Parts: sequence; C-alpha cells; structure tokens
Amino acid sequence: MLEFPNIQSRGFRNISEGNNITGFQVPVRLTHYRGVWLSQLRPATVTVDGEKFENEQITWVIDGKSYAQTDLQNYPNIQWHSLTPAILKIEKPGGLPLGIHDVQVQFAYSSSYLPPRMDLGFGAAQPYQRTMVLAR
Amino acid sequence: MNENEKKEDQRDTALSRRNFLKMTAGAATLASIPTSGLLTACRPAGDSGAAPTPEFNGKPKRGVSIYSYSGVYGVTMTLEDCLADIYDMEAEGLEILANGHIPNYPNPTDEWVEQWFAILDKYQIIPVEYGHWVDSRLHEGRELTSQESYDMIVRDIKLANRLGFKIGRTKLGVIDEILTPVKNWQEFIEMALPVAEEYDFKMCPEIHMPTVLKSKMVDDYVEFIERTGTKNFGINIDFGVFAKREGRRMMPGVSNEPSAPEDMIPLLPYTYACHAKFTNMSDDLIETTIPYDRIIEILLEHKWEGYLLSEYEGQKKDVPDYASDQLRRQHVMMKRYLGEV
Repeated sequence: MLEFPNIQSRGFRNISEGNNITGFQVPVRLTHYRGVWLSQLRPATVTVDGEKFENEQITWVIDGKSYAQTDLQNYPNIQWHSLTPAILKIEKPGGLPLGIHDVQVQFAYSSSYLPPRMDLGFGAAQPYQRTMVLAR
Repeated sequence: MNENEKKEDQRDTALSRRNFLKMTAGAATLASIPTSGLLTACRPAGDSGAAPTPEFNGKPKRGVSIYSYSGVYGVTMTLEDCLADIYDMEAEGLEILANGHIPNYPNPTDEWVEQWFAILDKYQIIPVEYGHWVDSRLHEGRELTSQESYDMIVRDIKLANRLGFKIGRTKLGVIDEILTPVKNWQEFIEMALPVAEEYDFKMCPEIHMPTVLKSKMVDDYVEFIERTGTKNFGINIDFGVFAKREGRRMMPGVSNEPSAPEDMIPLLPYTYACHAKFTNMSDDLIETTIPYDRIIEILLEHKWEGYLLSEYEGQKKDVPDYASDQLRRQHVMMKRYLGEV
C-alpha cells in the first residue's frame, strides 16, 4: 500500500554501483485521482537540504523503465499510474549522508479537461515537502 | 422465490464462497483473489466478460464511482475493499476511472482482468460506467488531431468492452473557462460512432458545473444526437449542476445559478447515467446542498432507469473511512427517496 504523502519513504535510499555510491533516489506518487501520460508531465526538481537537482540530473523510473527528463515528451502512450510510485533517481557521487533530510519535490502535469489557464493546475504549485530519514 | 429473494440468495452464495475461500475483505489484496471457476465457465466467447447484468424495472438504480474513495484509494483501501463497501450499501452499479483504477492501463494483464471479474462476481457488482479522457493537450503546444483523438477513444472502447462496460464517461478536452469542448469534437466523436455501435457502447460527456443544463454546450450535444440519430452518444448529468451557491465551486466570470431539477426532463432520453454528486450528508441523512428529493421524484415520474453513480466530493476525503461513511448515508437517503425501504 502507498503512504499518504506524495513523497514516499519506502524506496528512499542511496544508489550503489559496486562499491561506489553514485546518487540517491526519491519515490513520489500521484496524489491525484488519475494517472498521467508521460508526455503530460513537466520536468521535476528535487531539493534536499537546500541543494537543488534538476534537468538531466534527474531520471524518472516508471514501472522499472528509465526515462530521461528531456525524453518524457516522447512517451504519450506510457501511463504513470496513480498506484505506482515513480522513482526519481538523482546523480550525486557519494550520495547523501545517512540521517534526517528535508526533501522537496516539484513537478506538474497537463490536464486537458481544465480551462487552458489552469492546464497545470493539478500539479504542485508549491513543492511537496517531507522530512525523511535516509538509512541506507 | 421472488426476484429480491433470488438476488439475496445469489449474494449469499457469493458470500459463502467467499467464506469458503477464507477471504477477509478488509485485509485481502487484489492480487490474492482466486479466480472464480464458475465465472470462467459461464463467460461467453468474445471480448466481453461475464459481468452480472442489470435488470431494468423502470426505476433508477444505485451505484458508486470509485472516484469517491480517491483520498484513501491504494493507501488504506484496495479495489476489493471498495466493492465490499458498495455491497453493504446494496448498490449494484460501479464506475471506475480507466486512468486511475486499471493497473498497467491501457494494457492490463489477463490475470488482472480475471481478478476483476472474480470480485465483480463475488460482490454481485455490475460494471456500469467507464471514465475515460480524450487528452487533447497530450503534447505540449498543440491539440490532438481528430485521428489521434479517435485512436484514443477506440483504445478505451475496446478496453471498456473487455471489462464489461457499456457506458463511457467520455471527458473531452476544453478550450475555455466554461468548459467548451475542443472545436473538432463532433468530427472525432462521429468517426468513433461505428466502433461504439459495434461494441454496444455509449460515449457520454458529463454535464458538470460550471456548465448548466440550459446551455449552448448541452444544446450542441442534443443537436449532434438528433442529427446523427445515434444511440451511442449521450450525456451524464452531474448533480452538482443543482447545487446551491454555497456548494458550488466558484469560477471567475461564470454565472453561478444552479439548474432546476425540471431542466433534466427534456434531456432524459439522452441521459444514460447520472453522477450522484454530493458533498455533505447530515446526521438526519439529508444532502444539504442538492435537492435530491425533487431530483429522484422527477426520475421516478419519468421512469428513468439508468444508474445514479455516487460521487463524493466533500471534505475529509483523505480521512480513512470518512468517504465510506458519507456514501452509506447517501445510499440510505436514496433508498428512501426511491421507495426501496
């Protein structure tokens, strides 16, 4: 089952390749009632303790498949389902230190059934924020 | 055995099978539901599954949209938990949102489809309305062409058919503050009519505030139906159009006068489902913002026999069990107005 907040703690950890920590990952879910096509997504930013990550520093993983942020627009037939967290993988050699972090995530998505003025209205006007504990 | 007893007996059978399988609805996850052998055996050949089918008796029937549970769906409640809840309301109809409630949409696995029919069978729930979208702004900076919109609709009609649905809540992209649909809607809906006919499917945009029943949009839909003579396109009336001012969401520059329940009458021949929108059920089991007594009186007078699909859109949707409590209250109210008790 999912956790109530947008930012999920299960899956929040550093990423290792061999003996090297190459970055960290933050799972996020859609707290909206419908899934979105990847081409409806707008790029995310992730901020940890004030350090901001964006653009090509972030890779989206949806249902086990990786998508560069700049590539999301090319997948209009792939759905990010509202019951499946997306994993945001962030490149950061050495990763994050274990312990407590202030994590903020912001992203938006298009909703064609809202007036065009409100196209991105169901996305996050303010970043989602959660105090998270990194243990791995 | 009269019809009601027969129905109750069928439900008892479904439940004893459930007991036999030692399933507890609250704890069960969808993945753990065994397939019903009985159901597989009686499923007809072809794409459409063996969902329970409605009996038409000249009266509105009750159902629930899973949308009502969206604040807790996947967090404290599974799809099966929702169906068990709906069973307790003695409601028989179901609406799902394709983009919200079908894992791996638009390509669910055969295993999931088997489980879908197994839980419908277990709780004797009829798949009534399939919510789907034509995402006209799928690509940033341009609208979908008619061909692309048609392709999206056809994909959904085929999936809806695979899951046993006959009605779609077809949400069109909009171009302005009063939710006017995209300019080419008539073109791609007309292109999709033969496919809808082939699958016995009715595409129904929802008439939703701030749109009211007496409006150019509704006039355009009726004109389209009359011009084409189609039975495969109609409307879904969302009861939010009858909500008092204080229950309505404010839109800048848009009139906030609610529709009168009587405004439904000329539209009933084209209305294949209604969203029984509600926001607040009081302790004496009255909806405080929408005149349900008059609405249901009119539907009974005109022998309208579609489904009233509950949509809870009030506060505390994300408080565990709150929406369930509100839904139960609403269904007691509707049972009273429908003369079911």
